Amino acid sequence: MRIMIALAVVGCAASAAAQDVTPRDVRFFSEGVECYGRLYLPKGFTSDAKAAAVVLAPGWMQTEASIDKYAARFAARGLVAMAIDYRGWGRSGGYVYLAEPIRVDDRQRFSQHTAKVKIRRRRLVPNDQVIDIRNAVAYLQGEPGVDPARVGIWGTDVGGGHVVVAAATDARIKVGVAQVPVIEGRDVTKQAALRSPQLHAAEIRLARSTAAQPAGTPPGTDAETRLAVADYHPFWFADQVAETTAILFIVAEHDTHVDNDANAIAASKMMRGPTGVTVVDGATHGLTTAKAFETAADAAAAWFLKYL
Amino acid sequence: MRVVRTSIPALCLALAISNEAVAQIPTDIVDRSRTDLQKQASSAEMKREGGTQPQDWVYALPDGVTTHQATFYVDGGFPLYGKLFFPRGFNPREGRWPAVIVGHGINAISIGIEKYAARFADRGLVAMAIDYRSYGFSGSEVSLLEADTTTDERAVWEREARVQLKRTDLNNFHEVEDYRAAISFLQNEPGVDPDRVGIWGSSNGGSVVIMVAEQDARVKAVVSQVAGVGSRPAAGPVAIPAVALADSIQRARTGKGAEADGGFSFRTKIDLWSNQVNREFRPGSMIDRIPETTKILSIIAEHDELIPAAGAPDAARAFKGTWQVVVVPFMTHFQMYSGTAFEVGSSLAADWFLKYLK
Repeated sequence: MRIMIALAVVGCAASAAAQDVTPRDVRFFSEGVECYGRLYLPKGFTSDAKAAAVVLAPGWMQTEASIDKYAARFAARGLVAMAIDYRGWGRSGGYVYLAEPIRVDDRQRFSQHTAKVKIRRRRLVPNDQVIDIRNAVAYLQGEPGVDPARVGIWGTDVGGGHVVVAAATDARIKVGVAQVPVIEGRDVTKQAALRSPQLHAAEIRLARSTAAQPAGTPPGTDAETRLAVADYHPFWFADQVAETTAILFIVAEHDTHVDNDANAIAASKMMRGPTGVTVVDGATHGLTTAKAFETAADAAAAWFLKYL
Repeated sequence: MRVVRTSIPALCLALAISNEAVAQIPTDIVDRSRTDLQKQASSAEMKREGGTQPQDWVYALPDGVTTHQATFYVDGGFPLYGKLFFPRGFNPREGRWPAVIVGHGINAISIGIEKYAARFADRGLVAMAIDYRSYGFSGSEVSLLEADTTTDERAVWEREARVQLKRTDLNNFHEVEDYRAAISFLQNEPGVDPDRVGIWGSSNGGSVVIMVAEQDARVKAVVSQVAGVGSRPAAGPVAIPAVALADSIQRARTGKGAEADGGFSFRTKIDLWSNQVNREFRPGSMIDRIPETTKILSIIAEHDELIPAAGAPDAARAFKGTWQVVVVPFMTHFQMYSGTAFEVGSSLAADWFLKYLK
């Protein structure tokens, strides 16, 4: 997977009020970490509705703020929409480690302590991000007024690759939209191979000592991230997406970060169910212009409305 | 594995047999032990219906074998426990030894399988028995009982906080990472040859070691004992039963969920959701990811009440490289850890490691 520099994706929360939808800050839990979601309910939504819902997942090194405007737009189109922060990012909690060991017997499954802890943030663990998306889906399934059988997922950039992985592994997910997705793995042999000497040395250091961890910001190029990324190949999941699952791929015509042919278009060809590739004319990876946003958001909303 | 069939021409048959014979280890210990195994199977004292028993974990440290306890790290600094066993004559200044990681099954712990590590060390291997995360002497899963007020301004925050610690958080995907961290640790252990590392896993751990082999080419030899493997393709997401679905919703919304019995040898609970996580864990669907440089031995108990007998042979047939399957007659799942069955199983495993970590 290509590791991308933070892209200039500007949030546009102001549009929410204008579209008459109501955002709400919510907390969902993902493997013990309290994570943040911004939940948009469409106009006229009531808790006894049977509404369709969508989880929105940000890109690499991005937070909910970068995709908030998509959630607002989906809600304006009648969908319940929840944009999330992955664990360790934005307003989600971090990774918690004990600074000093506490010994607990296995028979005492849960115990409570006051302890010195180390909380790590801005870790980039793709597999954990997929689990966060899945737990956000579960959260929405339990939201009064949401039809638990009609929850889809939307992701951009690396989050678009997560859409493929989550759809291939989670039977609850019947509809997905992968926007300018990074779906690495087409050209990587599936057979296990040795790492580069540098990464291998880093792997050993991390197993031997906590002193080898990155301490500063920004991450993204540290060995821990590169190791996690080296083991993450969303393309390998493409042929596991069920034929009852509908995945739309949205690409930017002039994407210079992602090779559309090797990512979205190749993945779309692997789908057994309904699929398509929408090209946003004239757009770059960030879909930064108002027109590009409109086109991409409307294509996604239409897909969800059709298949949810 | 090349499967020898009588229908193929005689010349090919002969070649296949000779290649296969070279790749395999002799199993005459199984035949020699048949009477004793039968005795063990019919002995009331040796019945093991719900798990192993404390007397099954006891062993005498072989002459000249030394041990020490170690901490290693996974997933961003999570501490794991390993107990190292060094063979007689081990001297890091004068040579390099092959090394093996020894991992336990569901809700077992390392002390139950130390005797395998001790046996491997007695046979000349460095061996490390490990506890997976949240088991035995390894660290607990940690979650905050208060709001996390840290921000992205810094990557690392240190503070005092109210925390909840959780044990026995069964997760096969995590166990794969735990094995891989153990490999990294062992590769850097003075006196260990980093190019000669093997992994041993039993029961659930025997499934996990197959997935490790699918992800990590550093593994040169694998022994998978009484493990479910299978070779069926993964045709898509696994179904989520209604009870698991309800649990996942509750867990996502409250941070708390239902529990299930996780126990065999140790009667502790696991999260109900862990069963779903492990249903998604399908090493049998990815056999083609194992490099042919990795040599695999499956040891099956003939009367295993937990594991379908066809799984390991199916997987072995799906693998292009060397994958030997040995059936230990008369034994049930948990009988494999004691008596003659232990002698046979540990001896075959050591033979395999010595052959392929030469």
